[in-house]
Amino acid sequence: MEKRFPLATHGKTLWTRDTARRIREQLEEVLAAAAPGDTIVVDMKGIDAFDFSFANEFFGKALLALPRHYPQRFLVVQGLSAYTRENIVHALESLGLAMIERKGRALSLLGKVHPADVATFDTIASKRVPVTAASLAEALAVGITAVNERLTKLTNLGLVRRRSGASAAGREQYEYSILA
Amino acid sequence: MAQAVEQLTAVTFDDLLRVANPFAGEGCGFDLRESRFISSAALVQLAAASYGLAAQGSLPMIQVEHPNVRSYLVRSGFVGAVAEAATFDPPFDDSVLHQFDHLHGSNPLLLEVTKIDSGASLPPLLDRIVSLLRTKLQYRKPDAYDMATVISEVAQNTFDHNTKTCGFLALQTYKPKKGRRFVEIGIADFGAGLRATLQRNPSAASRMRVDLDAIGIATQLGVSQHQDATRGTGLHHLLRIASCHGGSVHIRSGTGKIAYRGDRGHRYRFTVPMMPGVQVVISVPTRTG
Repeated sequence: MEKRFPLATHGKTLWTRDTARRIREQLEEVLAAAAPGDTIVVDMKGIDAFDFSFANEFFGKALLALPRHYPQRFLVVQGLSAYTRENIVHALESLGLAMIERKGRALSLLGKVHPADVATFDTIASKRVPVTAASLAEALAVGITAVNERLTKLTNLGLVRRRSGASAAGREQYEYSILA
Repeated sequence: MAQAVEQLTAVTFDDLLRVANPFAGEGCGFDLRESRFISSAALVQLAAASYGLAAQGSLPMIQVEHPNVRSYLVRSGFVGAVAEAATFDPPFDDSVLHQFDHLHGSNPLLLEVTKIDSGASLPPLLDRIVSLLRTKLQYRKPDAYDMATVISEVAQNTFDHNTKTCGFLALQTYKPKKGRRFVEIGIADFGAGLRATLQRNPSAASRMRVDLDAIGIATQLGVSQHQDATRGTGLHHLLRIASCHGGSVHIRSGTGKIAYRGDRGHRYRFTVPMMPGVQVVISVPTRTG
């Protein structure tokens, strides 16, 4: 299930950590009510600007809480202008975080991400079904250990969902997916 | 009493304190009788200094005589802003204090000396600054938002890291005889200062010996008084944005001051007379749309 969280209802400009704290509490209520696999879309349409205090308190804290308190939920941003995208990238990079942006139907990563992790994310996103580490290793032409490291990192950042599945031979294995 | 300087700016403010520093017990006041010019950034420092002295129990006296300077102190909102914290010699007539309630037309003073004491008052003030930059200087939206962002990051520190104090903010444009017109943004408070604030964080405390160290550390990414991964980015972004705009930033706290020349990528360190709090001056060439 997908739920939209429009920020423009709080104004065109979003200044200060205090402002962000109030809105983040509302976002966390939505995240708490969401089920594993659900997607919460932070809609930035209509937002002209925000400061870094706002970005850190709203996006930074929500992203840090995601894997710990709301595991398996996706937090996605959409409707960014060129200016707000540039600033959200600066904010996430300075915090060492990343998040998913949706533009139309395309998904991409914003923030501090290694190119190898971007390639892994893009490959998972391009599949319509959950993938295994083995199939990813093959698609990316890298070793299984390297892929597992990347998947652990992406999962811990809340960017990829990991579920238990079964192989054709009936063995338990993890499957990875992005959004529902 | 701190003695007069003819041109009182954020730089010569330190000269004023060097002659006689009220924070070192050398009198209680500021002798500006010889002053012919006072910059907006110096005014916010003077406002913070006045409040700082008043908080220590001694209401400072500001002596100012030149009619143009006296008129500017009223017009800039300074007299009203420090009404509770300072006295003037000669005193101002109450009737003149309300003659300049609004900043009209091409007045180079963009934003009068404004007290900052809570998070609630800041967002509308920042929106007003964006509007002023857009209408008076024809700034493009992204440039105006950049300025509001840096002001926000510094201004929030004035109440985020301090209790029972406040900060002051003013904006003015200047056109030097040589060179481009620039906007000067002055933000000052009389709180604990960077060193005392960062002492609350053990990992930062071990790296500081003097105020100059604290300023340098405070501008590093992720350093804050809080053990919070989302803190400590404000001054880093301030320097980054000022640099993108070819501007300079002066950060003063306690007995230290560092001047960052974003246009040249240089920084200069100074030891200055003691003054409580943090004072920041951002000078950025104007960008018109």
